[in-house]
Amino acid sequence: MARLSHLLNLLTGPEDIGRSRWFWTGFVAVCVLLFVYPLWLSEFEATNIAYYLLNVPIALGLGLLWGYCGVLSFGQVAYFGIAGYLYGIVAGNMIGDAVGPIVGSLCGLAVCAVVAAIFGYFVFYGRVQSWIVPILTLVLTLLLETFLGQTAGYQWRVGSVQLGGYNGMTGIPAFQLGDYVVAGYGFYYYVLIVVVVTYLSLRLLVNSRHGKVMLAIREDAIRAELLGYDIRARQLVVFVVAAILAGVSGLLYVQWGNYITPSQVGLLQASLPVIWVAVGGRESLLAVLLSTWALNWLNYTLSSEGYRYALIITGVLLVAVMVFFPSGIVVALARELPKRGLRALLGEREGEAK
Amino acid sequence: MDIFATIISILYQFATNGAYLLLSALGLIVILGMMNIINLAHGELMMMGAYTASIAWHQGVPFWLCTILAFVVVGVFGALLERTIVRRFYGRELGALVVTWGISLILSQGALMVLGPFLPSIPIPGGSVGVGQYSFSVYWLMVIALSCVLIAGLWALYNYTTFGLQARAAMQNAAMARALGVNTGRIYMLTFSLGAGLAGFSGALFAPTVSIAPFMGQQFVAPAFITVVVGGATNVITGAVGSSLLLSLIKTPIGFVFGAFVGTVALLLAALVIIRLMPDGISAVIQRRIDRRNRFA
Repeated sequence: MARLSHLLNLLTGPEDIGRSRWFWTGFVAVCVLLFVYPLWLSEFEATNIAYYLLNVPIALGLGLLWGYCGVLSFGQVAYFGIAGYLYGIVAGNMIGDAVGPIVGSLCGLAVCAVVAAIFGYFVFYGRVQSWIVPILTLVLTLLLETFLGQTAGYQWRVGSVQLGGYNGMTGIPAFQLGDYVVAGYGFYYYVLIVVVVTYLSLRLLVNSRHGKVMLAIREDAIRAELLGYDIRARQLVVFVVAAILAGVSGLLYVQWGNYITPSQVGLLQASLPVIWVAVGGRESLLAVLLSTWALNWLNYTLSSEGYRYALIITGVLLVAVMVFFPSGIVVALARELPKRGLRALLGEREGEAK
Repeated sequence: MDIFATIISILYQFATNGAYLLLSALGLIVILGMMNIINLAHGELMMMGAYTASIAWHQGVPFWLCTILAFVVVGVFGALLERTIVRRFYGRELGALVVTWGISLILSQGALMVLGPFLPSIPIPGGSVGVGQYSFSVYWLMVIALSCVLIAGLWALYNYTTFGLQARAAMQNAAMARALGVNTGRIYMLTFSLGAGLAGFSGALFAPTVSIAPFMGQQFVAPAFITVVVGGATNVITGAVGSSLLLSLIKTPIGFVFGAFVGTVALLLAALVIIRLMPDGISAVIQRRIDRRNRFA
């Protein structure tokens, strides 16, 4: 019982917007609504909603890294791609075996963690300046795209799976639990559970002791170090966690569409997580979650006619937000509304206010 | 004779790679050294330079004038960019990175929409000269010579002009420079404009050697940024020269044996190892050595 109340205290701790009783009532209501919502939806619509949501883990990971730890990465899509491709290779070679998708997922996430740990070791233990991490992660992403793009030939085959160059890898198996293939409505619930669990556990993390140290590093790295914390190790751990979360989104993506192409790790894709996080507000997990959902929905709706303008819209949005709402739109609203005397009514309901 | 020709060829390869890295990164380093800001729209400014040169060249303007025109046009554009947007992000390095990324997306897609998917290219000026069984492009030899001139010019600019003096003062201690009457805002604008202009100039110089397209800036991202990371921001000139020579030393043999892509991957790996050893880049190491010698002298 004591442990339960400790957990609840962490969950409602100060490091995210939305802490009041009102907010949590709303949160539970939205969750329940999302769980019963498919009763009114076709399977196709449910899969679309799952698509808007499946990018939430990568965005939350970047929010954690950039907003809470002060380390910016432009290369989160590299881990998205690594996990997606590895899942495709492993699960694709184990077709017919019921544990294939699970083994594939674990392999994908493990390789993400290892790559991030090696990369992170060099940058964080070198104590580089803050602008170096985003640049090198961007370079990593571009090189990965170039590499995957030239894997078109027949010699680029792992077991029975073709990497496929710019045409991408196709026929990636769906996720499977025992004999149950997760698709349609099942996929919707699978994504929903992953997203809710990710959000709540990150909220626990940022309010835990480790989270406080993370914030201390963001505020003043030297001070945190003088207080006796090994900032290199802490930053490395957060970097790896963010990479794994990006990998989770990559897994969900290939399990949703059953294909992946090198453009998933290209420059446009690399900019998207940064935009979701910047537009919502990097210092709030809730804001990141909401803006990721909203912008994915917007992108999906615009994609039929507006793809030609996608980069321009993205770029303008990014510049406008950075100039006018440096802390993010959702966070700015959440901070402004209470000041205008609406605290009692709307204070912690900024989610719905958006 | 054969060995002599081979040595010349190796030196040529080495100098070509060095000049390529140096020119790709120079504008970026100039801005970084002064304001500690990374301009992610750098590749797109190079693209603008190439576009300016290509359009002017096809109007009959001689090529050397095209490169100068590219310098001026992109330099002016850089000044506008600094006044309207970048100025707000001094002291917020990560914010500056994100906002300049947004600008780069707008520029590349904007170029695609306004000017179409590709421009007619510029033929490479000059022929080739032969030594033994090897032949070398005269144009690249000129580019190599030009990068040396450019570095000498920058060195003179920083050391012998009022602007250079004030710029170095602002780099060392902006608040003190302001207190002594230096208009740092103006210095920042001029430096950003200079960096942008250099990017445009490099873009124009590379224009005959690459296909001119809206997204051509991307290919310079990896070499330019790796050069900057290895060079560091302590001293513009030693950083740019030291880093591009060191990286060329790595890229030339590996690229020669395994191809260009593996050569670039080797650059990234080298950069990771180098920042582990010298986190502030090669310019900080050189600067420390100079400082130590001056102290004992």
